[in-house]
Amino acid sequence: MTHRLGPMQTLPSPMRKYAEGEIVDYCIIGVGSAGGVLAQRLARAGFRVVALEAGPFWDTEEDWVSDEKGSHELYWNDLRITGGTHPLALGANNSGKGVGGGSVHWAAFTPRFHPSDFRVYTEDGVGADWPMSYWNLKPYYELLEREIPIAGPAWFPWGDPHGHPYGPHPLGGVGDVLVRGCTRLGIRSVAGGPVAILSASHGDRPHCIYRGFCLQGCKVGAKASTLITHVPDAVNHGAEIRPHSMVSRVSLREDGRVDGVVYLARDGTEHFQRSRAVIVSGYAIETPRLLLNSACPGHPHGLANSSGTLGKFLMAQAGNVVVGRFDELIRLYKAPPAHALSEEFYETDRRRDFARGFAVQTVGPLPVAFAKEMVAAMGAWGWGLRRVMMDYNHWATIGVLGEILPWEDNRVELAEEKDQYGLPVAKVIFNLHDNDQKLIEFGKNKVMEIMWAAGAKQVVQESRFAHLVGAARMGKDPATSVCDKFGRTHDVPNLFICDGSILPTQGSANPGLTIQALAARTADYLIKQGDAIFFSNRRDLAEPGIRYDLSPPYTRFKGIPRIA
Amino acid sequence: MSRKSFPYRAPGGDLKNLDQPGYYPGYSTMGQKKSWDEATRKVVSARVAETPSIRFFSPGKAALLAAIIDRLMPQDDRSESRTIPILPVIDERLYTNALNGFRYEDMPPDREAYRIGLTAIDEMARSRFNAPFVALSVHRQELILKSLHDGKPDPDHLTWKRMPVHRFWALLMEDCVTAYYSHPWAWDEIGFGGPAYPRGYMRLEHGLPEPWEKEEQSYEWNAPVDSLSEIEEQGAPPEHTSPHGHGGSH
Repeated sequence: MTHRLGPMQTLPSPMRKYAEGEIVDYCIIGVGSAGGVLAQRLARAGFRVVALEAGPFWDTEEDWVSDEKGSHELYWNDLRITGGTHPLALGANNSGKGVGGGSVHWAAFTPRFHPSDFRVYTEDGVGADWPMSYWNLKPYYELLEREIPIAGPAWFPWGDPHGHPYGPHPLGGVGDVLVRGCTRLGIRSVAGGPVAILSASHGDRPHCIYRGFCLQGCKVGAKASTLITHVPDAVNHGAEIRPHSMVSRVSLREDGRVDGVVYLARDGTEHFQRSRAVIVSGYAIETPRLLLNSACPGHPHGLANSSGTLGKFLMAQAGNVVVGRFDELIRLYKAPPAHALSEEFYETDRRRDFARGFAVQTVGPLPVAFAKEMVAAMGAWGWGLRRVMMDYNHWATIGVLGEILPWEDNRVELAEEKDQYGLPVAKVIFNLHDNDQKLIEFGKNKVMEIMWAAGAKQVVQESRFAHLVGAARMGKDPATSVCDKFGRTHDVPNLFICDGSILPTQGSANPGLTIQALAARTADYLIKQGDAIFFSNRRDLAEPGIRYDLSPPYTRFKGIPRIA
Repeated sequence: MSRKSFPYRAPGGDLKNLDQPGYYPGYSTMGQKKSWDEATRKVVSARVAETPSIRFFSPGKAALLAAIIDRLMPQDDRSESRTIPILPVIDERLYTNALNGFRYEDMPPDREAYRIGLTAIDEMARSRFNAPFVALSVHRQELILKSLHDGKPDPDHLTWKRMPVHRFWALLMEDCVTAYYSHPWAWDEIGFGGPAYPRGYMRLEHGLPEPWEKEEQSYEWNAPVDSLSEIEEQGAPPEHTSPHGHGGSH
């Protein structure tokens, strides 16, 4: 039976299957934004790769629907406990489950991080510096923008200015509001991207049809997820993607190296996948949870946690949604939710009383999400709710995407409670600090100002958060970080972490593109190191040099459009 | 559901027994289902055709929750045959213990939250009005519920010392709006285009309708005279922040 990945693409068949007991080179845990890219690169380079995914292997035609409620299974719905002064909503808000992970339900905004993001501590005395610079990552941004590929304006003026390989999307009603409001206030904005959504057909993927269900999984195949961009090529090159495989523990040998992972299959049976190296790509909650659950003699506080920082410095971005009512019709459900933005307030501004900044971005909640927003933002219920919802087509929604700094007390721990596998669940603790609160207040007011300037007759807002990163951060100092700049844990030479959890700071850019770029860079490093990863404890921190010959077919680039 | 409290048009005339409330007369999302993909058609059609039976709540608790839902998500204006099922959807979620991926550390599990929250509401009704909640007038029911909405339970009840009232309120409201606004009849009411694959949309700007959508025809109307649930000027109490899992986010 054909396994469909969009209306035109099918999963290469048969997929290679490794037998129980067979040893592989790399076992990747989690097939999301990072895991998909890693599996593709490592398989193409000839390594034996098994990638374990806790959720299903989606057939997009059969499993995905153009329906909010019917898309519930795309998310990580297993129990987690959330607390702190500003508890984060989890589940649908930020956690994917199934091949493609969060890239299945992301809105697909793909701005790059700014050069300043890599030196926040040096420049502002807060947060942390990255153990690498923007310029180390830039070639990977360009490469992934071509592989995905990204649609967007020819000229993106902020950070390191750049263009995009595919043309921008037409403007929808909400984007029009953002551009209008910004223009009236003299704020620069861009529209039509950058987004990981096709504005023209690409290989066996059709272009966008503007149906607005990006967050429900793109049946069209226009919005990129690693499920359709990198996993097919990984399978073509011999990687095995093993769905419904929940890893419970990474196994450590007596010599201090890992030798595989223990996982539970769909039927509840326990299996052991032997591997010469392990890469954890479970994202900001499941990665620290797995390593904490893998505590063993020699690693009493969690695997690779001699620094005590595993699970700490978790970040989410401020995601306040400002909602404005217009006399005219908007019909916010049309066009991708992500399609216009401004990064005019991204950098630290000494005239403000806080460090760092925020982005201004369109969002496009469908009826159920919008009703929840009205319940939260207006206290709507009963007839008031029915009334405000009858005006659904008159409202526009613009989001703040604000940088919250990494704080040690924002963390992932293990709770007492167990999940359906009998594993302790994650407890997520999140507190806002002074700088964060000032930034949110300023950002929220600025976006409300933009909404008024666009001509809204009523403006309300809802406080919320978006994205998760950190909790297994990379750094130069093994005493204050979990892994090095290639994701290699300081404590275990053949154990790597590669996902959003290694980010030391988060900027106010959506993290998806950066995670994929980091994964491609880590893959190049592993390929360059070759067998040394499997047999040597020596740590080589030399840059690997970018490999342009490992891209999926039809994406190899001859230079990125750049008007500079 | 009970029908006893009707909104009315500004010039007069109750809004009741309507097959399709809202400002888009003649618009039907289900009328478009032939142009949807098969998987979506199956899921949405089943939502219209099949109402799950009550398996989690006892008959008494089900009647109580039904009365509460009638005020939180009132449908007095809708005709019997066009009433959107809410209680059965909540019951099914709790019966199957379907989670949304997280629980606040100061909240009990959802099933327990519903059990103790419903009991508290009924006991509040008995202590304030000497009658069970289901037997109260619409106005008295809304007095109790509005005190929960405002975060100032009147009368206070021991349960709200153990379970934050604003979180319980958010839980109830989210379950109600998820059931109501995931139903195609609600999409007709608010003029939402509904599923659009493989056809897509072609008129993105200026709020223009697709050829198969309808122009808006709005009219003035008032909430029932005995209702307290119109939105107040000052908006939401400050603690009504970020309770939900999904907001069409970035």
